[in-house]
Amino acid sequence: MSAPILEVSDLDKRFGGLHAVKRFKLSVAPAEIVGILGPNGAGKTTIFNLLSGFIAPDQGQVLFRGTSLIGLRPDRIVGLGLARTFQLCRPIIGLTVLENVLVGSLGPRVIAKNLADRALALLDQVGLTNKANSPAELLSYGDLRRLEIARALATAPELLLLDEPFAGLGAAEIDALSTLIRSLHSQQNLTILLIEHKLREFMQLVSRVVAIDFGEIIAEGPPSTIVNDPRVIEAYIGRQTPVPTHA
Amino acid sequence: MDARAFPGLDRLSTASGLLALGALGALPIFFPGKYLTGVLTVAAIYGLWAVSWDFMSGLTGRENFGHSLFIGVGAYAAGFMNVKLGFGPWWSLPSAMLVAMAFGLVLGIPTLRLKGPYFALAMLSAAVIMQRLMLIFWEETGGEEGIQDITPLIKDHLHYYWFVLALLGASTVSLAALARSRWGLILRAIRGDEATCLAAGLPITRYKIVSLMISAAFAGLGGALYAHYQLQVSPQLFAVVTSITIITMVYVGGIGTIYGAAGGALLLTIMTEGLRQVGEWRLMAYSVMLILIIFFLPSGIIAPSWQRLRKSLGGTDRGLVGGGPAG
Amino acid sequence: MIYGAVTSAIYALLAVGFTLIFGVARVLNLAHGSFYALGAYGTYLLASVAGWPLWIAATVAVASVAVFGVAVERIIIRPLRHSQLGVLMITLAVSLIVEQALFLSFGSEYRNVPAFVETKVNLAGVDVGGQRLLAFVLAFLAIGLLYAFIQRTRLGSAILAIAQDAEAAKYMGIPSDRIFSLVMAISAALAALAGVLAGPFLSVQPSMHLLPIVKAFAIVVVGGLGSIAGSIAAAFMLGYAETVVAYLVNGSWTEIVSVLATLLMLIVRPAGIFGKRAAF
Repeated sequence: MSAPILEVSDLDKRFGGLHAVKRFKLSVAPAEIVGILGPNGAGKTTIFNLLSGFIAPDQGQVLFRGTSLIGLRPDRIVGLGLARTFQLCRPIIGLTVLENVLVGSLGPRVIAKNLADRALALLDQVGLTNKANSPAELLSYGDLRRLEIARALATAPELLLLDEPFAGLGAAEIDALSTLIRSLHSQQNLTILLIEHKLREFMQLVSRVVAIDFGEIIAEGPPSTIVNDPRVIEAYIGRQTPVPTHA
Repeated sequence: MDARAFPGLDRLSTASGLLALGALGALPIFFPGKYLTGVLTVAAIYGLWAVSWDFMSGLTGRENFGHSLFIGVGAYAAGFMNVKLGFGPWWSLPSAMLVAMAFGLVLGIPTLRLKGPYFALAMLSAAVIMQRLMLIFWEETGGEEGIQDITPLIKDHLHYYWFVLALLGASTVSLAALARSRWGLILRAIRGDEATCLAAGLPITRYKIVSLMISAAFAGLGGALYAHYQLQVSPQLFAVVTSITIITMVYVGGIGTIYGAAGGALLLTIMTEGLRQVGEWRLMAYSVMLILIIFFLPSGIIAPSWQRLRKSLGGTDRGLVGGGPAG
Repeated sequence: MIYGAVTSAIYALLAVGFTLIFGVARVLNLAHGSFYALGAYGTYLLASVAGWPLWIAATVAVASVAVFGVAVERIIIRPLRHSQLGVLMITLAVSLIVEQALFLSFGSEYRNVPAFVETKVNLAGVDVGGQRLLAFVLAFLAIGLLYAFIQRTRLGSAILAIAQDAEAAKYMGIPSDRIFSLVMAISAALAALAGVLAGPFLSVQPSMHLLPIVKAFAIVVVGGLGSIAGSIAAAFMLGYAETVVAYLVNGSWTEIVSVLATLLMLIVRPAGIFGKRAAF
């Protein structure tokens, strides 16, 4: 067993009276696809924000390839090889699609002779080639998601944090995105940590699930086990949200 | 499809820029006289101030309402070096730039983390206070009167004008080139969405501060040139009116384009000289003009016109960088 | 000590108006200082030049500035409400136009705004100018009235609602546009009142609008943008700090106090002491 690429222990965060993340721990092996599952408000995005340096934890440790990420600014963390996407897509307004990807290509991890060619190749990978010179703010929702991924990929990450990549997409787009994620994983040996709501796609993508509710872990294991876990079911059905496993 | 990542300057632009410079330089030869040369010199210095403002504020959308501070400290640095410390006048230029850059660093660190309007106000406050400080320490700075009897850099008015014009040209070219390089892309990205820039791995604070320092350096340079033209410096240099005038010039020229700022400065200075008969209404004219431009022509006049001219001449549409006040 | 209180009261008047229009409309109004200046000059014009009785001159001046404020809001600010920087620039431009207009009309020498009360009063062993005392009292009354208005009347509740959530307020049928104008009128009136009251003992010349704006900004930053209570508290802190500095060091240093306070606050705690935009 090789050393974990990401080692999170005791991660804790309060916002005033709200205990958003409670003693979260996670260990991700290289080239794994791990999913974080949980109903709305469970603390998933907060965990991502903590991991990527946008918020500082109250306590706990995050080790990325052995280096502690605590206290590092987000851009430094990206420079170490951890990239994230945002749940609500944030295109850089005023720039074209190509420029958006270029912005991600300027970090220390990128060694390429021709940045424009590399950026175009990335756009090709996510299927946005014909939109390269469009203003980013004119993209459709699905295309914005692809742009998010392309920009994150541009930073040459080893670990990719995807925050609800399927949210708001139609069935066909979900399938296409799913295929893309799988191909990225296999072709580039990318480790992926994924937050999602839509269980079906989730189940087929990830090898391991960490289920959380109210900021703490309630179950962990392969998808098939999680679906039948009573605590997970309660977390969902307790909120009147059935666990959609089969179409 | 244009696959070049960073456009850079192209030949049509550079050629026309040189042409414009040449024309401006030749003007006093056809219309000799100290008056015209003086007006053009001041116009060129305003041009320098305008392009320095545009580089930082035009690209990042962080509008600096206290640009006069950098102008003032540059000018006073020149005055100090020359009169109080007795250095030869040529030492003023690098000193002014260094002093202005230092102020850019010191002020930038606390203020650039603020959102747009608060950054603007903080810089405005800083400029107002700086003006006050010049008066408070009147023993060292000469108070209301300022520093007098600065020695000129180049005695001949025409030669000095050409020198200033050359500096304007060099500054415009280098700042425009920077704006069309990866640096400019980063600044525009910062304007678009800072969080995304962070998530893309860009150390935005560093870029913001360095850009402010660059902006300050060129403004300070202009300040020193002004000092050696007027042969005196006074606290009036820190006035808010100066900052507003410069902002108006940039808007008229087309915010974010760099060359537009230079054009706007030249155009407006010359135009308002013609209004000298109207006398004291001149200062008000700039404020009124700014309001009108923001309401009716937020992309400016000069840059859009130039873009249209380019297209008719067969050049590619480079598009406008920036345009209108940032939200 | 007393001077500190008086200065603070004037600052409070200015700061409350500034933070009010910000809390409600998210507008940073740089022409606020001009309202202050116009209040002073208006009174001077009507009282000293036109010879009107002082009370009437003052009231008319304040009312006119309130109307002017609404005009500025309607014509200039409203179209640009989506862009805070645009509003900033425009209001700054307006303030400069006003300054120039005042300069052209009245020249740059200091003018004497007549005082309401000429006599001196002896308070706890210290001679205080009657005008300063009046200023203090009236300032307090004005702020107190404003507080009562906001807390007790329906209109006041509407204002609070908009300050909390402008969108929601609209859905509830609150006519936000009209309220913005009202708030602007109040804000301008307060600033003009400050000008009228302080005119007799603070300097009156065309560029008098600038320092108040810098100080109002400082106060509002320290007290927390959008927090009326914070502004009042910070106004007093600043007023007293300035008095202390003037006493210990030198009068000209007082402006540094405000900017230092601003910069320090911005670095350490940008939300201000009472920040998080609690309106009251």
